Amino acid sequence: MTAERVYRLLLRVYPSDFRSEYGREMTLLFRDEYRMRDATALAFWASMVWDAAHSAMSMWVDVWLARGKEYTRTFEVIMKLAGTLAVLFGAFGALNALAEAMAAMRGTLEGAPLLAIVLGVAAAALLITAGTALLRSTLSGRNTATIALVASLVIILIARLTHPWMSILSQLIGIGLPVVLLAALHWPRRHDHPSSAAA
Amino acid sequence: MAKTKRPPLTPESQLPLAPATFHILLALVGGERHGYSIMKEVTSRTEGAVRMGPGTLYGALKRLLEGGLVEEGSERADAELGDDRRRYYRLTKFGLRVARMEARRLEAMVRAARQKKLIAMEPA
Repeated sequence: MTAERVYRLLLRVYPSDFRSEYGREMTLLFRDEYRMRDATALAFWASMVWDAAHSAMSMWVDVWLARGKEYTRTFEVIMKLAGTLAVLFGAFGALNALAEAMAAMRGTLEGAPLLAIVLGVAAAALLITAGTALLRSTLSGRNTATIALVASLVIILIARLTHPWMSILSQLIGIGLPVVLLAALHWPRRHDHPSSAAA
Repeated sequence: MAKTKRPPLTPESQLPLAPATFHILLALVGGERHGYSIMKEVTSRTEGAVRMGPGTLYGALKRLLEGGLVEEGSERADAELGDDRRRYYRLTKFGLRVARMEARRLEAMVRAARQKKLIAMEPA
């Protein structure tokens, strides 16, 4: 039946999930409607096209909203992992700075290295604060994390200036991690979950 | 970003219903029906004023199924329409409660319109 074939083509405007769930039923309904139609062929097809156009649009809106929520969930998981990573690297950084301080205590501690160690510990503590705030997953946690990350970045840059022989790994972690986390936190997102704004 | 528990659905949270949705629920009050039967019932009850196409009908049914207002019944052929097996839909208890509440809500609105003589002012 040609009309049914045309209608099956029209069904392609719907999202595939909806089509596979209801496509057969809709075709059956179309067949019944076509058989019993009390309007001219043109009026009948106009009503079918109009029905497909506006109902498909609302279906697609549902699909996009669901995708937005899915995207937000993925983002939340990534930020939790990033928070854990920040806490771990912060703890590692603090231990490393303390180990350096212990080693330095055995010798004569000059002004610049001592300042670098103090700054290193402070930056690591701020990284831990940022990580912990990210794990709280609230808007206030996000704000705290932003402040802590910016402060940590500023401190590590000062440490780098006072301690030019800072290792590449320390620079990567100390500068790279806050920059990446800040970018991830403030990158424009397609969908912001209302619960995060309300928190 | 906090993990939010989805609150349990209450009949009040479903109101107001879209006109097409309420018509579908009304059609199912009498018992389970398949898609074409729902469509015919709505058209005849509204004397042709409301005509739902397949997309509108199944889009609304999908949402009603997801909301727990309607459930799928058996799949069987309708002797009047041929041998094809059709999916039947029926109201759930929750769906019936929602339909009742919507009817009460509409009744209250009509009562208010009568008090304001809005309906009396309309030509007969």
